[in-house]
Amino acid sequence: MVERILVVKCQLGLHARAAAKLVRLASQFQSRLSLERVDRTATADAKSILSVLMLAAGRGTELRAIAEGNDEMEAIIALDGLFDDGFGENDHGARS
Amino acid sequence: MRENREIRYTGVGVSEGVVIGRVLRVHDETRYVYRTRIEPDELDRELRRFRAAVRLAKRQLLSIKERAEQELGKDHAYIFDAHLLMLEDQKLISDVERFISEERSNAEWALKVVCDRLLAVYSEIKDDYLRERGSDIEDVVKRLLVAISGERPAHRNLSEDAVIVSQDLLPSAVAELDLDYARAVATDTGGWTSHMAIVARGLGIPAVVGLRDFYRRARTGDTIIVDSGRSQVILHPEPDTLERYRSFTDVEVKHPPAAQISAQDGGQVKTLDGLEVTLRANVELPAEYAGVKDYGAHGIGLYRSEFLLSRRGLLVSEEQQYTVYAEVAKLAGEHGAIIRLFDLGAEKHADSQQETERNPALGLRAIRYGLAHEEIMRTQLRAILRAAAVGKLDIVLPMIADLADVRRAVNILEEERQNLDSEGIQQGPVQVGAMIEIPSAVMTADKIAAHVDFFELGTNDLVQYTLAVDRGNEDVADWFRTLHPAVLHSIKRSIEAAKAAGITAIVCGEMASTPAYAVLLIGLGAVDLSMTPPLLPRVRLVLSQIDSDKAREIAGECLECATADQVENLVRRRFSTQWPNLFSPDKLPAANDSA
Repeated sequence: MVERILVVKCQLGLHARAAAKLVRLASQFQSRLSLERVDRTATADAKSILSVLMLAAGRGTELRAIAEGNDEMEAIIALDGLFDDGFGENDHGARS
Repeated sequence: MRENREIRYTGVGVSEGVVIGRVLRVHDETRYVYRTRIEPDELDRELRRFRAAVRLAKRQLLSIKERAEQELGKDHAYIFDAHLLMLEDQKLISDVERFISEERSNAEWALKVVCDRLLAVYSEIKDDYLRERGSDIEDVVKRLLVAISGERPAHRNLSEDAVIVSQDLLPSAVAELDLDYARAVATDTGGWTSHMAIVARGLGIPAVVGLRDFYRRARTGDTIIVDSGRSQVILHPEPDTLERYRSFTDVEVKHPPAAQISAQDGGQVKTLDGLEVTLRANVELPAEYAGVKDYGAHGIGLYRSEFLLSRRGLLVSEEQQYTVYAEVAKLAGEHGAIIRLFDLGAEKHADSQQETERNPALGLRAIRYGLAHEEIMRTQLRAILRAAAVGKLDIVLPMIADLADVRRAVNILEEERQNLDSEGIQQGPVQVGAMIEIPSAVMTADKIAAHVDFFELGTNDLVQYTLAVDRGNEDVADWFRTLHPAVLHSIKRSIEAAKAAGITAIVCGEMASTPAYAVLLIGLGAVDLSMTPPLLPRVRLVLSQIDSDKAREIAGECLECATADQVENLVRRRFSTQWPNLFSPDKLPAANDSA
């Protein structure tokens, strides 16, 4: 089992589009992938869009990603990349 | 008081144009679902019925998604990807199946119970935007309920002049509308960046959203006017109102002769007395791109780059912008495209997280916003300069107050030009124009003209700023008068300043696309108009049948008037006598000289 703390960087948080990207990515791996708010108020299955949306993870939310399975390392690195890249939205933070 | 008296509602106009039509109420299809008990030997059949409905809903969503990608661009189709994932989500699907089996329930009831549980969780979410995603679940569940029932989705049986009135149109319902018939849209909820707004702009139909409680007051079949430019809908319009609108909207060009829309015109039309007028296209969405060619426009006169930002203020990278501008340049062809720098701020960002300004229309918007957030402007300028290497692109600076704004913007442009040079990145030549829409720019137009390559007249804002009338405020709607003599003088002055400096002046506001106004613009000296592509044939047809001398004569008389009422009466009287075939008297109200 591996885990890593990820920060939601996109402007609108884990909204429908970002969640869709996340779920599509997570579904490519065999490992079980879960996301948990670091305040432990909610946990989600990263392969279920309804569950991911229910994390209500706004911008700046910290999430603990946990992967368990034979490709757990690849999975966590891929997730990390997606979060790091702000879900490919290039938001520049310019509205702040 | 009469029962159906005229009522005006103000919302947010999110596209261009005016339509007179009949209300078609589209519910949000609340279905009453009852519980039935399923016999144990029927359970398998019920599960199969549910799975078949899921498959059907998936197929529908896939085709909606493809259509949305083509018409609106990939960025806007993402929502349907999320819907598809919901249909694959075990949290929804297996919970429903389990409920059917364990409770011996019919599929409809099982779906409703599971959905209600999910929605209850969503309603607790504190983040506004994320909480709204509950509506996506409702959308998917409604689609499933319709699929289970074996019916086809509604909203397809539209009459010829249907104006869709709804509380809220779910994104997938919008994408499914039979748009050959939907003439306009009016909804209770939504804002400039709502999905409905983006779609309506893409399709070039007028839309007013955010009307709060309009839906419950409108009845199917009621006469309605949707005036997107003024952010208004008028229910049960009085005959006077109706006539006033008809006189400016009703030039019938439903089936223009092929020659009228052939691309071989190259976007030029000649008046009867041989004056050449250039007709260009206003473009915002990929869905409109085809129109540039189909309707024979002389390139793109106005590309509203804010489309790139329509996902609520998220800014796009230089690469992403470059790709879009390069596509626009190719599409526009030899005549090129004029890209308006981001017209940010004010109403278009009403729902961003910024602190609201007390007076946004007079606040930090357009070029002011760009100068205050230079990094955004620099990114955009670099992308445009690079794309100009692919095809002809020019830049227009929005909301210029005077020469100082132009100089500051041009300095930044020059710096980016040099930066690209020193980085060894390829770029193309661009011309720089100024939007003339503020009275101070009109007054000093001759000074500005000496330092820019062209003018663009944005008539909507020009009217708002000249008359000090907020175009979104219902209480002052009577003061918003496009045909005010002060507006006409401003237009004439700007065009003359451009002519004296030997530069082009393109009129690109909504005024240019309304036939009667277009004729008046010609009379004021305009020879270059830009408008939404589908409106080109109508204007082309009218201009090809008028005498520019006559238009000038009438415009001259208008300039002598003291009030907008006088101008409107004069226009009605003179136009219907001069060109009865184009502006027939029965479509014009009786002149009212006492006004």
